[in-house]
Formats: sequence, C-alpha cells, structure tokens
Amino acid sequence: MSAPLIDLVGITKQFDDTLVLDDLNLSIQENEFMTLLGPSGCGKTTTLRIIGGFTQADKGQLFFEGKEISGVPPHKRQLNTVFQKYALFSHLNIEENIAFGLKIKKKSRQYIKDKIDYALKLVNLDGYGKRMPDQLSGGQQQRIAIARAIVNEPKVLLLDEPLGALDLKLRQDMQYELIRLKNELGITFIYVTHDQEEALTMSDKIVVMNQGYIQQMGTPEQIYNEPENAFVADFIGDSNIIDGTMIQDLVVEICGVRLPCIDTGFGRNKPVDVVIRPEDVELTLPTPDGLNGVVSHLIFKGVHYEMEVEAGGFTWLVHSTSLSPVGSKVGISVRPENIQIMNKPASEDEEAIANDE
Amino acid sequence: MMSKRLGKQLLAGPFLLWMVAFTIIPLILMGIKGFTTADGAFTLENILAMGSEMNIQALILSLQLSLMSTVICLLLAYPLAMILRKMGDSNSVIVFLFVLPMWMNFLLRTIAWQSLLEKEGVINGILTALHLPTIDIINTPAAIVLGMVYNFLPFMILPLYNCLAKIDDNVVNAAHDLGANWLQTFVRVILPLSVPGIISGVTMVFVPALTTFVISDILGGSKILLIGNIIEQQFTVSYDWNTGAGLSIVLMIFVLLSMALINIFDKDGEGTVL
Amino acid sequence: MKKAIERLYLAIIFLFLYAPIATLIVLSFNSSKSRANWGGFTTQWYSEMLSSEVIMDALGNSLSIALFSAVISTVIGLLACIGINAMRKGPKTICLTLNNIPMLNAEIVTGLSLMICFGVFGVSLGYGTILVSHVAFCIPYVILSIMPRLKQTSTATYEAAQDLGATPLQAFFQVVLPDLMPGVLSGFLMAFTMSLDDFVISYFTRGRGINTISTLVYSQVRRGIVPTMYALSTVIFLAVLVFLLAQNFLPQKLDKLTRKLHEKRSLKGGDEGGGKWVMVAAGVLAVTALILLIVPGGEEKEEEVVYVYNCGEYIDEAVIDIFEEETGIRVVYDTFETLEAMYPIIEQGQAVYDVVCPSDYMIQKMIANDLLTPIDFSNVPNLEYIGQDYLQACRSFDPNNEYAVPYTWGTVGILYNTKLMDEVPNSWSILWDERYDNEILMQKSVRDAFAVALAYQGSSINATDPEEILAARDLLMAQKPLVQAYVVDQVRDKMIGGEAAMGVIYSGEYLYCHDENPDLAYVVPDEGSCVWFDCWVIPKNAENKENAEAWINFLCRPDIAMMNFEYITYASPNTAVIAELDEEIVNDPGVFADEATMGRCEVFTWLGDEVEEIYNESWLEILAYSDEAAGVEAVDPDSEE
Repeated sequence: MSAPLIDLVGITKQFDDTLVLDDLNLSIQENEFMTLLGPSGCGKTTTLRIIGGFTQADKGQLFFEGKEISGVPPHKRQLNTVFQKYALFSHLNIEENIAFGLKIKKKSRQYIKDKIDYALKLVNLDGYGKRMPDQLSGGQQQRIAIARAIVNEPKVLLLDEPLGALDLKLRQDMQYELIRLKNELGITFIYVTHDQEEALTMSDKIVVMNQGYIQQMGTPEQIYNEPENAFVADFIGDSNIIDGTMIQDLVVEICGVRLPCIDTGFGRNKPVDVVIRPEDVELTLPTPDGLNGVVSHLIFKGVHYEMEVEAGGFTWLVHSTSLSPVGSKVGISVRPENIQIMNKPASEDEEAIANDE
Repeated sequence: MMSKRLGKQLLAGPFLLWMVAFTIIPLILMGIKGFTTADGAFTLENILAMGSEMNIQALILSLQLSLMSTVICLLLAYPLAMILRKMGDSNSVIVFLFVLPMWMNFLLRTIAWQSLLEKEGVINGILTALHLPTIDIINTPAAIVLGMVYNFLPFMILPLYNCLAKIDDNVVNAAHDLGANWLQTFVRVILPLSVPGIISGVTMVFVPALTTFVISDILGGSKILLIGNIIEQQFTVSYDWNTGAGLSIVLMIFVLLSMALINIFDKDGEGTVL
Repeated sequence: MKKAIERLYLAIIFLFLYAPIATLIVLSFNSSKSRANWGGFTTQWYSEMLSSEVIMDALGNSLSIALFSAVISTVIGLLACIGINAMRKGPKTICLTLNNIPMLNAEIVTGLSLMICFGVFGVSLGYGTILVSHVAFCIPYVILSIMPRLKQTSTATYEAAQDLGATPLQAFFQVVLPDLMPGVLSGFLMAFTMSLDDFVISYFTRGRGINTISTLVYSQVRRGIVPTMYALSTVIFLAVLVFLLAQNFLPQKLDKLTRKLHEKRSLKGGDEGGGKWVMVAAGVLAVTALILLIVPGGEEKEEEVVYVYNCGEYIDEAVIDIFEEETGIRVVYDTFETLEAMYPIIEQGQAVYDVVCPSDYMIQKMIANDLLTPIDFSNVPNLEYIGQDYLQACRSFDPNNEYAVPYTWGTVGILYNTKLMDEVPNSWSILWDERYDNEILMQKSVRDAFAVALAYQGSSINATDPEEILAARDLLMAQKPLVQAYVVDQVRDKMIGGEAAMGVIYSGEYLYCHDENPDLAYVVPDEGSCVWFDCWVIPKNAENKENAEAWINFLCRPDIAMMNFEYITYASPNTAVIAELDEEIVNDPGVFADEATMGRCEVFTWLGDEVEEIYNESWLEILAYSDEAAGVEAVDPDSEE
C-alpha cells in the first residue's frame, strides 16, 4: 500500500468537559472516497474540521503528504470544504462565489472565466452565473458550493453532510452526481454523514464513529455484512441483535434454541451478541424443535413486507417478499452464514455506545 | 485557538478604553463631587438634598409625566408597528420617515409645538375656523407629556417594529390554526414575543422623558419644574455643582433601579433596539 | 375596511409627527421675525442664512461632528462587537452592561459628568471635547445595531472564505463585513442622527467659538428664534429627505448600475463591494463634500482675533462683518442664554473670552470677584459719544467708570395688550389681579421676577433683608396660579400673538413688539422698577485686550451704534444715535425712559453670595411651587388631533 495522503495520529479533542475525540488514528489514501459515518455528536464533524483547519486538536498530529500541518491555518491548506448549509456568500452572485478563491489567489481574468465555465458545466448549472444564491433551489446551491470548492483544484475535498438539507429524491440524484464528480476529478473525498445509506452507496471506505472512537473501518460490504459490534450492526441498517450463548465452535444458542453457525474461536458457553439482518430471517411453517412464533405487526413496504414476529421472548424484525398475515403462526430459520456472532462490549465506553440510539 | 480568541477579544479594546475614559471616569468624578462640599470635605448633604420637599415633588411629577408619556407612546406605537409589520418589505421608506423628523433640530421641533398649541396658535386657529371648542393645554403638564410623546415616539416605534417584524407569519398562523381567535393570538403569542421590543422601547422613552429639562422648559412655560430642570438650575443658575452632582447621582441610581426592575422581564439582557 | 382604518391611523401618526415640521417650514418663509405674526412670503431668511458666518459655522460643526463621531463610533463599535462576541459569558455581560450605561444615563448626567471630567483634567472645552463626548454616547447605538446581526451571521461563510484561501482578514472584509453591512449601516445612521440631534451633551461640553445648530438655537430661545434657523432646518430636512428617498426609490436602478460597474471591476480581480457599499460611500462623500464646501475655515493662520461673548440675538450680525473688514481682526462670536449661565464660564476660565456683555449687578459681582480688567480708554476714543448721564448711572455698579462701557439700557415694565384690557396697568398689583388669570407672563429671571414683587410690596429691588425677600417669595408663589408662563424673551412672540394680556418685559423689546402688533403698549408702574444697563467689559484673563478695546470702540461709533439700535431696538446710550432718531421715538417713554420714570427706578446691585443664595433658593422654590399638590390633571395629549 502506498503512503497515505492524510494521516491522523493520536488526535484528541475536548470541548469544555466533553471529550469529543479520544486518541483517534486514521489514514486516508489518495483518490479514496472515504466516509465518516456516525450519529450526531460522534466526533465525525470535529474530525473533518481538524483536517480542514477550523478546529485545532488538543493532542496528536495531522500529516498531509507526510508533512505535519497541525498548525497551518485553513487558507494555506491544499484542501477545500463543502459546508453543511453550503455557506454561499449571499452578497455575491454565483460567478463571484465560484471565483472567490481564484481571485484571492490572483489568478488571471481569463483563467477565472474558464474555470467558472468549466465548473458550472461540471455541476450542470451552465448559465446560472449571474444569479444570486437565494434565487437557486437547495440542490442547485449545493452544486454551486461544490463548484466553488473544486475550481481551486484541491487535493482533497471535504464534504460536511452536504446533502443533509435536501429532499430524498434530490439526495439520491446528488449521490450519483458526487460519484461521477469524484471519478471525473480523481481526487480524494472525505465525506461526513449520519445517513448510512448514503455512506454505503458512495464510499470506497467507511469509518463508523461513535463517542469519539472509531467503531469499525472497512468497505461498505464489510461494514454491512460483518459488523464488528452491536453499535455498528444497529447503526448500519436494521438488525435483530439478540442475546445468545456460544455453546461451542459452530453452535450458538438463542431463545432457547441451538442453531448452527460458521463462527469459531469464541470459546465455550460464552455470552455473545447475535446479529441477524431482517432480510436473512426466513419464515417457515412451525416446526416441532425449531423456533416458533406469532406475527404481531405487518407493514407493506413496496419491495417487501416488514413484519414483527414474537418468538422466544424476542420481537424479531423480518423482511420478506411473501406475506404472513397478522396472527398466523410461523417458524423462524436462519442460514448459518447469515448469523453474525459478536463479543459482548467489554468497556463501559462500548456499553455506552450500545445504549446510544 | 486560545490566542486567536484572545486576539479577537482585543478588538474590544478601543471600546473599553473609550467607555472607561468618557463614561466611567466622568461618572466617578461626578460621584466625588456629589459627596463633597465646595471645599472638598466629605458630606452627604448633596445626596440628601433630594429628600427636600421641593425635589421629591419634582421627582414624583417627573415620574408621573414620564410614565404617562411612556404608556401613551407604547399605545400609539404598538398598533403602528403591527401595521408596518403587515406591510412587509415595502415599508423601509416608511420606517425612515419615522426617523426623519429627528433631522429637524430637536429644540426647533419642540418650539414648533409652542406655535401649534398656543391659545392663538395654529391648532386653535383651525378649531375656531371649524367652530369647534378650542384647547388650552400650553404651559400645562399635558403639553409636556405631548412634547415627550412627540420627541420620543420614534424610539418606541423602531424597537417595537424590529421585534415584531422578526415574528414568523407561520407562528401567528399556527396560533390561529390551534383555535386562538385574534385577541388570544395577540395576548398569548404576539405580545409575549414582542416583550424584548417593548422593553427597549420603554427604556428609550422612559429614561429621556424622566430626565428632560428642555421640553418642560419650552412647553411648560417654566411653571412646571421637573427633576431635570432642578439639576440644570443647580448647575447654571445657582452655580452649585456639588448639589447638582449629588442630585444627578440620586437620579442616576433611580433610573438604574427602574431599569433593573424592567429588565427582570428581559431574559436576553441585550435588548433588541434595532 | 380594516385596511382603511390602518391607513387612517398611519396618516394620523404622520400628521402628528410632521405637523411641527410643516410649521417650521412655513415659518421659514415668514417675512415677520416673530413666529406669532404672518408677515408675508419671503426667501430673505435663506439668503441671510447663507451669508451668516455664525450659522454656517454652526452647521459645519454640527455636520462634521456628526460625521466624524458616526465614523469613529461605527469603527469602534464594529470592532467591539467582534471582540465582545468572542468573549466568554462573564466578560461579555460586563461589556454589554457597560455599553448600556450611556443609554440609560440621563443626558444631563452624561453631559455634566463629562464637563466635570474635562474640568478636573484641565482639558479646555472645544470642538474636540464635543466630538469625544458624542462618540461616547453614539457607540452604544452602533453596538446595539450590529450585535444582533453578528449573532445571526453563521461562522460558516467566514470559514468557507478561509477554506477558499482567504486570510482571516480577507475573509472578514470580503464575507463577514458585507453580511453585517445592514447593521453597520443602521448603526452609522443612528449615530449620525443622534449626534446631529443632540443638544444637552453638546451644551455642556462645548467651548468658546464652537456652536452646533442645537446650541445656537438654544441661545436664541432667549430672544426668540430668528427665522434663519427655520430656514436652515428646512434645508437640512429637505436634503435628508431627498437623499433617503433617492436611496429607497432608486435602489433597483442604482443596484443594476453598481452591479454592472462591479462586474467589470470584479472580473479584473479588484476588491469586492456590493451595491449598498457604493451607496453608503456615496452618501458619506456627499456629506463630506457639503461640509467642505460650507466650512471655509480650513486655512486658519495666526491672525488677530477677538473672542466676543454676548447675549443671543443681541447684535446686528452685519456689524461683525464690517468690523472684520475694517480692522482685519477675526471675530469669534459666542452667545450665552442667561447671565447666570455666563458667569461660571468666565469664572472657570475653561473658555477664555476677550470681551463680554453682562448687566449691571453681574458686572458688580465680576468686579468684586476680580474677574475684570480696567479698560484702557485711550483705545476707546468713541467713548465721547456715550452720554454722561448714563456713565453717571453706571457708577452704581462700576464706581469709577473703569470697567464698563454701556451698550444698551432700559427699564423693566409691563407690556400690555390694549385690546385685551381696558385699564392701564399703572400698578404692579394688577399682576396679582384674579381677573387676569392665565393672562400674565412673568420674567424667568431671578432678579427681574423678584424686582416686581419687591417693588410691589414697597421694598427696594436690592433688598437684602431675608424677611423682605421671603415675603416677596410668598407673593410670587401666590401669584403663580395666575401666571401663564415664566418666559425670557419669548414674551415678545407671545405678546405679539395675543397669547396674554400683559407681560413683564425689558423696555427694549417694546419698540419691536409695537411694530409687529400696534395694540401693545408699555408702562413702568408707579411703585417703581428697575433700570438696567448692559455694558461691555473685558475679563481679566482676556488674551487679546487691545482687540477687545477696538471692538468696544467700534460699537460706540455712531453709525454702528445706529445699526445695532435698528436691529435690536434697545435704547442706546449713544448721544449721536439719539440725536439722529425721530423725536417720536426719543420721546416715547417706552423706549427712552423719561426723568420721572427714572426717578422711580433703581439699578440692580450685586448683593453678595449669601443673599444671592437666598434669592436663588427662593426662586427654585417658586418655580417648583404648585398649588395643587403634585399638579397633574388627567391629560389627553392627543386631544388636538
């Protein structure tokens, strides 16, 4: 693996009495689309602001292309930011907004003009140059904020929940747009969001954070399919997280029923968390030895039905394309490879994480 | 981070310097004058002078008149601010028109009221021509109240308007939606939301009204002495700076106390003057 | 319907706000000097205004002080807002409280404390002291207009600018400041307006030769406002009106224009600046240009000067111009409202004058307190024109005729309206006659008011016996319910307008009043009265004594004395003037008191500090006295609407 573009080493940050980041270590590779994902207050925005230079870490070092830049003010860093609520300059028109950074750098008039044209084309807003920011829709403003950042040819683009204020449809469109932009520009994106779907859709790598700690780092597939702890499992998509006991390798007991699984190395009779995705729960006819229950809720979701099944003292969330009416008795079965076994949280911090929404 | 913050804070330096040099120190010096005799010996006499019957009477009268004009200003300005609020963006000209009279000299404006109010003045001339009974309020407390209301009304309108203009229309709509009628909406929603505006308005009218000496002089025919007149006379006629300073201190404390009383309602503590 | 009511309400409020202004504008075209009479349409006051150096100076001072204090306080206030905003809660609260003090403080307290402060530190009062004081009371308004705006401004745009490569300073000027601009602008305008409109604080912190429009107006209240002031206010008002309307009605067009200009500029990579900026800059430039055009006194060289301190409206201003032209001595002309207000200024020496015009008893007091210097009469050859009788009379307060040269003289008597009363008020007792309830105007001046009561009760007008004084005080208190108003020289306007049946007045006003309203007559009651002399004297600390003597000599010259007589109509002690005048005027006892009248009258003398204090205290008691306890009836100030 080549040397990382950005390296955060032992970053700690405290606001008043609250510890926001605790000894955070993170490496970002060149040309990577990396997403910091987590609930509000998890420290993801603070991390981004430390990279951008708007917040100074209390402890730790920040390297950019191998050089320490902890003390470098924002305007001297080779990165640009797309802000949460766009932060367009309301007293300047679109062209002037886009040209802002270039004028500061005293670029030539022709260069600026070309860049504006290029950027407007890139974000599909050709011909909007003379408008004022408040004459544009939210999605358009968002694209201008991106255009304003990228004309400066940053090595890294920082995006702080850029799609948060948009409606669902627009958000999806913009997600594709961002991926396209990323591919076209070939630069590093560091993206902050609390929307797991957004993260899964766009990222090369996702960093799940909570309460100042990195919970898990990995590709979207890894994060989704193999959450390392209950927090990640809960935060990424819907999950059934059930208390269980690892009887021995390849056998786990939940709700009084022993099920085969593919996990090994947890020891014998060890309490564990068992994660089963709702779409991995298969409903069958009731079986004498299996796990049986009653359907208590039913909602039609379009692609599938969402059901709740009371079985073994636990309310199971089930996604299924076939319908089982409320009140009907069903059996529950899960394939061994769809059962994810996790250690119970050891530290108090992790406990807190698990309790966090 | 800290140093950046400190650097920013230093920007308040000239302000603090100016305030200390030209507000605090003068007030302290005045305090010293107020607590000493002409020879420089310590005394409480100047402060206690406020207790004399004449001064107490003047203070009470000032209080009555300034309270009355404050209430009238509020009653006049509130509907006006509501109307302006409804007019939306087209009203900046109108708001300017309320400030505009202040560019005509304050003394001249007040003297003009003399011409209007006099027994043979403009208003009575019009009333007589219309065969209506004439009014005779010049040189009475009523004329002073009128002068106060006239001069200080813009100070009530502006903060009120600024405060009311900030109330989101949907807040009012929501109140209606929840079943409140016009009066309920006003009393339970608009009025509480406009409290900061009312407070700055009341402050900006009450204080100058309480302490004026010019308006009472010109419109009261000098027959009515307000506390401001008494202090002014101490300085300019009796040439007794110590007593004048003593009375000023009492007046200042009095004003600050009334403001503290009013400010109990002001949660923010910063007002919304403009 | 509702809309109509709202419109009506708006209209009524506007009527209320603009009625006095309309009145002033009308008065500025009134050819009669009295505001009580309409003498026909004229624009003479406008041309007089333009040629009056005093007014133009005051205007220049007012505008430049307003502009500078607005600029300085806006800069300081803006910086302070950013600083305060960065503070933690504790210091922040302290700063904001500090900021509230000047706003909560009574103007009079602020003004006085500043005056005391400048006095203690030996700062001589002048332009600088007014400016500094104005800045002090303007800053809070600026901060209060910028602060809320600053709170609304998110830090995001500031950070975004830095992210795009702007230094913090660039980010502030190019992004934050434009955002704050509406607040900064309204703060600036507020400060400018407050400064321009201020009277009280300027009044207490100004020095010699410095007048603002406000202080000039106030000094004229004594003798009735000269319509040139109405003209001046009208011009200012209309100029502002046009400016504001232009700014509000033209912005679309101008905005486009400035935007076009701006685009050209900005594409060249020039500085940022929205349309509003240009507007403000244009406004400020316009005002500055106006000031520079108006105030010619930029190149003041070391030259001969004389600092003159006179009553308001007590000279024909043309005389000053002639003096300057003939002698090459520049006149710095200042006015005071009352002798009592003048005295401490001379005594304190915070403002040094070369020549002052007080009255008899005040001259005696100044001599007693060693504030005057004898005049070198070899420099005043025109003294020969001053009648010996008058010099003789002046010996009552200037025993050796060393210090004072009489300027005007007269008696105190009753001016009455023959239409409103059938009898001749030959006795002071008529001022206590209940038939004339609310028809009586009294002098608002300690000694003059007491002279009336003392003469009425048969005492000397220079009574020193406390019992006599207190008896006179009680008389004046008893009289108060009948009195319409205590006035200084507004008595003129009120009598001319028929506001009252009679008023106590200086004989000098009679001629002018009679011209304006022929029904007015003047009488000195039989019990006797006061005869007074206003004289020119030279303070001990005068810096230009010879120029002062030249000034006095000049005023004694027959043609100049004549000009002054015609302008102020007070009896002149100048024999050459008297010789020139019509028999009719010379023999009018209202103008030149006859010997019989003089026989009944006394000259005021100074009674010493202790007796003076009794007078002053009693006078305050009289003014504060009210027959109905606190004396507030239910009032409805809008009843005239």
